[in-house]
Amino acid sequence: MRKVGIQLPNTAFERTLVILSRYKEASIAVVALVLAIYFQVGSNGEFLSSQELSVVLRDTGRFGLIAVAQVMLMITGEIDLSVGSTFSLAPYVMVLMSIGWGVPLAVSAVAGVLLGVLIGLVNGIITVKFRVPSLITTVGTFFLLQGVVVSIYNSQPIVAPVQEPFNEIFGENLYSPTDSLWSWHGLTAFTPFLWTLLVVAAMALVLNRTTFGLHTIATGSNIVGAREIGVRTDRIKVYNFMIAGAFAAAAGVVNTVQFASADPLAGGPFLTLQAIAAAVIGGTSLLGGSGTAIGSLLGAFVVATLNNGLVMIGAQATVSDIYLGTAIVLAMILNVQVDRMRARRRV
Amino acid sequence: MSQKDIPALKPDTPFILEMNRISKTFGAVTALVDVSIKLRQGEVLALVGDNGAGKSTLIKILSGFHHPDSGTIVYQGKEVRFRSPRDARAQGIETVYQDLALINDLSIYHNMFIGREYHKRILGLKLLDNRKMRDLAQTYLNSLGIQIPSVNSTVDLLSGGQRQSVAVARSIYSSPTILVLDEPLAALGVREGAHVLGLIQNLRRQRSVSIILIVHNYNQVFEVCDRINFLHSGEIVLDASTSETSEEQLIRIVKSGLGRQAIAAAAADVRANIPSTSTNI
Repeated sequence: MRKVGIQLPNTAFERTLVILSRYKEASIAVVALVLAIYFQVGSNGEFLSSQELSVVLRDTGRFGLIAVAQVMLMITGEIDLSVGSTFSLAPYVMVLMSIGWGVPLAVSAVAGVLLGVLIGLVNGIITVKFRVPSLITTVGTFFLLQGVVVSIYNSQPIVAPVQEPFNEIFGENLYSPTDSLWSWHGLTAFTPFLWTLLVVAAMALVLNRTTFGLHTIATGSNIVGAREIGVRTDRIKVYNFMIAGAFAAAAGVVNTVQFASADPLAGGPFLTLQAIAAAVIGGTSLLGGSGTAIGSLLGAFVVATLNNGLVMIGAQATVSDIYLGTAIVLAMILNVQVDRMRARRRV
Repeated sequence: MSQKDIPALKPDTPFILEMNRISKTFGAVTALVDVSIKLRQGEVLALVGDNGAGKSTLIKILSGFHHPDSGTIVYQGKEVRFRSPRDARAQGIETVYQDLALINDLSIYHNMFIGREYHKRILGLKLLDNRKMRDLAQTYLNSLGIQIPSVNSTVDLLSGGQRQSVAVARSIYSSPTILVLDEPLAALGVREGAHVLGLIQNLRRQRSVSIILIVHNYNQVFEVCDRINFLHSGEIVLDASTSETSEEQLIRIVKSGLGRQAIAAAAADVRANIPSTSTNI
């Protein structure tokens, strides 16, 4: 017989609901694993080879870095669609500075990231001070920045200087069959992913174990209540916009370093949406209040796996979006329904 | 617990708070016109009046959530301006809002300590001391006799009464100078309501915290309050001690009609029968 009040989960189904709801990343971890196994079998053992993984993980790193910042922002109930342009603009400025003024890449990269912070600050201030919904604000800044970056050199890509060890540290190398995992060259093939892993771990700590993280969740979960209890919700939102700008810029810098080229069209709307897809697949609610850093990385892995894995098993590159679209919709249905079922059963 | 257990406040008890001639409009809506209230050290003041009278606006000005268009606030002898709820909390003014300001996605103990978290340093990083907050929250809620399953649960799983109890517990945890409770009994059943009234009565007995209570049930007003301010259409129409007025008189004011003049006349009538009531309203 059930008693009044809070129920402890007592059937296997209810326990599963609690785990899925509390650890949203658990379900997506399973999905990521299933996908990896599927492609591993489908590609006759090629998928999990170091060579292929270095490509998948490089993409995971790129999506994940943007997605984790997007997750923070989405937890506050906001979104940043301008990340795709920041991704193009920041490294473009970095390369122009290095070529034009002879600034070392490492220094101009910092300038590029600071530009991202500035873009985030502007997005944040327009959103919280002028009360423009961030969806609109950042669509506006997306086009604005995209326009700026293509107008500089008539949308021509420019060749970026290569300065070691900077380029190596940020992932210029790809894994080749002759590499050993423990060699410098082999290790640096995974650096884009490793940097993102580090950032995601840091953001997980920030979200779960710091006042800033607590206030970020409070802002998205109940903005009026959070304000009443003394959370500076506007400030929290602006900081998260700045993080999103910084991470998008950093991802763009890493991308440019990899290809030794700054392409004004490297980011764009598609990259923005892939990063949001990663965040959503990773269990972030668009309504604010919940989401995890680890989930965004797993989501990024799923997106990267779908992009690369389908090609590996011989599917047309064009069909991968069908799978990605399906994955997003299914992830959202799961996300919302698990919470509803848990709330209804009060477990 | 009856009224008699608690000795009346001495009339010369100093004021801890004076809100003078506070006005506030929201666009076309005038919420408050020249409202003045005074609160003595250790006093429990009831703020009563119909819906839309301006009670919540007044206390949200005190808590720093709204800013007055005009008027001054004198707190602990000094004129102050509360820029934000954070500011007011830092200076010892705790408020339990009607909506309770609980964060559904956070645990009970995080809700208890949000805005004044405990930290510990690990490798130079300032991290939340979750264990300490969890233990303190559990001990404190137990000491108040508030029954909740576990401080780890998120507050969205609590019943209305439990939510209200947690919000009240949070507000008194920090031993505030002034405690403002906006309808703290609204969502409570009889037993839970009696429990919260008991908590307020305990605070009143110690006279260490001054309380402003917004409440609709006049019975409860007379049970736990020292003084009543009746707010109507953004103006205070009656300021009287609970020992000098009665529930019937309050109800007479309420029933006297909807017009401002009818209310004012009824209030004047009640005031005329109270010798000591202040004449400055």
